[in-house]
Amino acid sequence: MIGMKKAMGARRETKRFSTAMITPTMVVLAVMTVYPLIFTLVYSFTDYNLLGALNGAPKATGLKNYLDLLTDAYFQQSVWNTVKFTVLTVALEMLVGFGMALFVNSLKTGQKIMRTLLLLPYLLPTVTVALIWRMMLSPNYGIVNRFLESLHLPVFNWFSDIRTAFGMLVLIDVWQCAPFVFLLLYAALQSVSQEQYEAARMDGAGPVRILFYVTIPNIKSSLALCALLRTIDSFRLFDKVNLLTGGGPANSTATITQYLYNYGIKTFDFGLGSAGAIVMTVIVLILSSFYIKRAIK
Amino acid sequence: MKRKVLALILAGAAACSLTACGGSSVSAEGSQGTSAEGTTQMSIALRGGVYADVLKECLPAFEEEHNVKIDVQELSEEDLHTSVALNATSAQGAYDLCMVDGSWMAEFTSAGVLANLTELGYELDEDIIPATTSICYVDGSAYLAPYYGNVTVLMMNKANVEEAGYTTDTVDSLEAVLDICQQAQANGKKGFIYRGDSQNNLVVDFLPILLSHGGWVVDENNQPTVNSEEFVNAMNYYMELIATGEAQVKDDLVASVDTGAATMGVAWPGWYTPTADSAADYIALNGKAVPGAEAYNANVYGIWCLGIPSNSQNKELAAELLTYLMDPEVQYGTVASGGVPCRYSSLQDEEVLKTYPQYEVVCQALESGVYRPVIAQWTEFYTTLGSEMDNIINGAKTVEEGLNDAQAALEELMAK
Repeated sequence: MIGMKKAMGARRETKRFSTAMITPTMVVLAVMTVYPLIFTLVYSFTDYNLLGALNGAPKATGLKNYLDLLTDAYFQQSVWNTVKFTVLTVALEMLVGFGMALFVNSLKTGQKIMRTLLLLPYLLPTVTVALIWRMMLSPNYGIVNRFLESLHLPVFNWFSDIRTAFGMLVLIDVWQCAPFVFLLLYAALQSVSQEQYEAARMDGAGPVRILFYVTIPNIKSSLALCALLRTIDSFRLFDKVNLLTGGGPANSTATITQYLYNYGIKTFDFGLGSAGAIVMTVIVLILSSFYIKRAIK
Repeated sequence: MKRKVLALILAGAAACSLTACGGSSVSAEGSQGTSAEGTTQMSIALRGGVYADVLKECLPAFEEEHNVKIDVQELSEEDLHTSVALNATSAQGAYDLCMVDGSWMAEFTSAGVLANLTELGYELDEDIIPATTSICYVDGSAYLAPYYGNVTVLMMNKANVEEAGYTTDTVDSLEAVLDICQQAQANGKKGFIYRGDSQNNLVVDFLPILLSHGGWVVDENNQPTVNSEEFVNAMNYYMELIATGEAQVKDDLVASVDTGAATMGVAWPGWYTPTADSAADYIALNGKAVPGAEAYNANVYGIWCLGIPSNSQNKELAAELLTYLMDPEVQYGTVASGGVPCRYSSLQDEEVLKTYPQYEVVCQALESGVYRPVIAQWTEFYTTLGSEMDNIINGAKTVEEGLNDAQAALEELMAK
């Protein structure tokens, strides 16, 4: 009897301790994430304007902001551009990053130097990256056009030409963010047991079979995590677009965030901006659900 | 016991961090106050670049005389717009003086963002070019003072212009502009360069062309007129003009025209200082579409005005600072560093013109300039119009389709 009481007391103590440990995190999450999300959700049903609010409280407008957004051709194009950008960049970054990780992992010497060099683009601030590429692709004095001219190849006004602007943004994002994928996958590759490789080789497996039957199964959770993180990050693309194209030419590079900036933030129409943010959150959740499901399993 | 202590410490740390999040108003108040040495702290928000540089060099004398320390924030145009508006939502503002673009005047005054300068004892003097003060008054009271005389000019490469059989003095109409650019294109150079990197730039670069065709973006009742006959004519002309060149960002535009790779572009005086030996020069558009046509006021203002936020904690001192900065002598002193005062005493001064002859052109442009429409919805207006113009320029829509779509969207916007 006394033993049971002691055991129950210990369980209660452990529960109390667990609750006390979780509470600070829950409080921070509630204040930093849940409150802004609820705040955004509430304002998405109003005509809240930053300066207009100085003259009177925002009025409830029901679903108007959502209807305005979803029927706006520019918003629709922004959603399409964002999805297209996300799919392309995540696929390319995963491929390039994985290739880089396999290459560096296979090196017998110079792994450290190679690792550092390959990581450099990811260490640069996005503004710096944008300015570097703007200079290199300048139609006026850019090295890329000069090089193409020397080869008698056609040159482009890369960020102002509707045929090239979107592709350039994809290229720059892949250049900057593939090293992130490389870093995560390289770390995962380091943890794969060498014994499995030796056993596979002894069984006569070639490099391709080893890749598909040993390497990838061993790092699949890291691959999924990488894809999830890159999907979320690519979906929020803003700075490169805002700095390099402003969403043009002809809206061909406008992303959801750029749209929200143009029509919500710059105009102080926070009601519409909030509705856009909610729509964006829902799309990211849908896109990420596959990975999240895997992570929960 | 140890676990309880650890839990308490963690909870305390979380509470402290959250309390710190809400402490900004106290610190903001503190930063506006007076220090133990009696030094008053002021804060001003300026448009970064030469506009802020010329103003900053005037501050030490004021700081010394009034025993104040002035904190200067230099921001991009969009950040400045947002910062001043956000500042207005606080009961106790962080800024004591701010730069304001003329196109923000309507939304700022309707929301009471700016203080009445007349009530604070400041009056605009007669030395200031009258046209530049047209948006500064509301119901007879001054709310802004025009500080930096930014106004669109037509920047051109002198050699390319001469190669086409003109000089900067004989470019007397838009017809001549097109002729020069087409000849330059035929000679393997780029003709007209425009900025296509944002809706604002697209619209602003086009406005002088529109004005020269006798059109405008709104009528006298502030209703959109972007599918008017004049607008369509101007857009058709513009399409022909930009076909001789391409879209570039500001730095590329200036470099292209300066090196002669391109021939012309709409520019602002703060971007380039022409001298007798420089390859490029600029002129004020005379507002004629063709020789002999009616001359309209065709130069668009981008004047940076100064205003005092209505929630400033040091309004009287800010008014003194404004009076000091707008003083003719103080403004004259900024010319050597690239300042462009909206004042006859500076822009028509013989000594100034001897060193900076281009100020004669700037003065003409300021005398015949036009502010962008003073409507509270201007940001959304130009975003919508710029997007449709972008579609037209890139062939996604015809001129008629794009302008009709813009008209419909803008009518809806103005009806809100």
